[in-house]
Amino acid sequence: MPKRRDILAIVLIVLPWTLLITVWHQSTIAPLLAVHKDDGGDSRRDLAAGLDSKEYCLSDRDIVEVVRTEYVYTRPPPWSDTLPTIHVITPTYSRPVQKAELTRLANTLLHVPNLHWILVEDSQRRTPLITRLLRDTGLNYTHLNVETPRNYKLRGDMRDPRIPRGTMQRNLALRWLRETFNKNNSQPGIVYFADDDNTYSLELFEEMRSTRKVSVWPVAFVGGLRYESPKVNAAGKVYGWKTVFDPHRPFAIDMAGFAVNLRLILQRSQACFKLRGVKGGYQESSLLRELVTLNDLEPKAANCTKILVWHTRTEKP
Amino acid sequence: AAVGEGGEALPTIFVVTPTYARPVQKAELVRLSQTLLHVPSLHWLVVEDSAAPTPLVGGLLASSGLSYTHLYAPTPPEKRRKPGDPPWLRARGVEQRNRALRWLRETRRPGESGVVYFADDDNTYSLRLFQEMRSTRGVSVWPVGLVGGLRFERPLVEGGRVVGFHTAWKPERPFPLDMAGFAVGLPLLLAHPGARFDPEAERGYLESSLLGGLVTPAQLEPKADNCTQVLVWHTRTEKPRA
Repeated sequence: MPKRRDILAIVLIVLPWTLLITVWHQSTIAPLLAVHKDDGGDSRRDLAAGLDSKEYCLSDRDIVEVVRTEYVYTRPPPWSDTLPTIHVITPTYSRPVQKAELTRLANTLLHVPNLHWILVEDSQRRTPLITRLLRDTGLNYTHLNVETPRNYKLRGDMRDPRIPRGTMQRNLALRWLRETFNKNNSQPGIVYFADDDNTYSLELFEEMRSTRKVSVWPVAFVGGLRYESPKVNAAGKVYGWKTVFDPHRPFAIDMAGFAVNLRLILQRSQACFKLRGVKGGYQESSLLRELVTLNDLEPKAANCTKILVWHTRTEKP
Repeated sequence: AAVGEGGEALPTIFVVTPTYARPVQKAELVRLSQTLLHVPSLHWLVVEDSAAPTPLVGGLLASSGLSYTHLYAPTPPEKRRKPGDPPWLRARGVEQRNRALRWLRETRRPGESGVVYFADDDNTYSLRLFQEMRSTRGVSVWPVGLVGGLRFERPLVEGGRVVGFHTAWKPERPFPLDMAGFAVGLPLLLAHPGARFDPEAERGYLESSLLGGLVTPAQLEPKADNCTQVLVWHTRTEKPRA
């Protein structure tokens, strides 16, 4: 006759395994991936080195086939205690392509370790669409909103055209950072302004992670060119701007072409994007001139010779 | 087929992407590859519209981290769209998609499990879409956002079966679906060696030219909560002003 404590022992052993198998089985994210992802951070960097890949040429010349058999990454990558956090500030506004844009941007950001997405809606209140989207991504995020005032003198729904789109939203994010992080003992961080329709390579985020003050790099498809870029001299210093659109701007650079160390944002606590009276193309300068001089800029992307970000724009459907 | 560690072989999703050279090509392929990189057991079939594989695409694929095959198939000159041609002229990507079908027929074993999905390089795909299509047996379907002049186009489903289509553009098509709105089971494709995209098909009828040889509309398998969720969007990228 089994004793009561034997039954209890069996239940205590069997029950956790039953629960584990049930939960595991129901998990919508393929459980193989989460369990078999081993030592985190360096996994992606090792990709080029030691992976098990077969390459072989088939009968048609020049067909290249690569079959990789390593695991697929967990989403997002595990948090690391040593990497500076990248705070990505994205202003967004409601329009038919909004959900698509944010979906594909999120798919990109999900590969980046230690990423914190600050999404700022141009709206009266945080919308259910964006609330759900953010929650479903699994990303580390902060959801803010501020509405650009409308100009009722123009057709109905027009926003005030004197305030460039995204300005109030970016400034709100800067304010949030200053209210949240103490400039004396905050964790290292980098601030990057990423609009929701651009295209970002994963390499870009790793380049910006070492920003000490303000780092810069080329951006494709801006200023009416194939790309715009800082000009870097032999000493590795920025001395000018390769652009055709108003190259005499203090910082002839696109929003996507620079990143700022969080410490600098916290120290220069009044620096923000100017709201009004800013000529086209001068938005970035209005912030940067309060943060750095040309001499302080750190060129990335192989001394500004590689394109790691593209200023893509999506057609209205 | 590539598998995740742990041994359970998910059916491979073969993503067929025709692509052609233009300024935004690299950006499109980069961001598409970033989405695909999240999907287990996926093999990317990239087919360039070119006479030879290009270093740009080759390099991008090699550093993408994905399983892939790099193919190419040039569109015949007389069929090539010239700048200034109206977009409603002949469909694009036909030779390239058919080249991918040929590769599948030449390299896959009969009865091999898998799903084939035609993913153009400028659309936007949620990760959930790939989960939905993984269980395709014949041909599965779902809504597509921002297409056909509507907020979305979608099959109409009653009792778990497709009974019609909600679309505003050429609704008389046998399969009024967008290329991004369906997936085909690999066994079904291999069982119909003649099924392919018709190079002579009028624009909008390309999908029907393939699907008509595989299934009837009643046999379509609805996904995405009986075709009520939009998991893919027919986004298009502006030509940069340069």
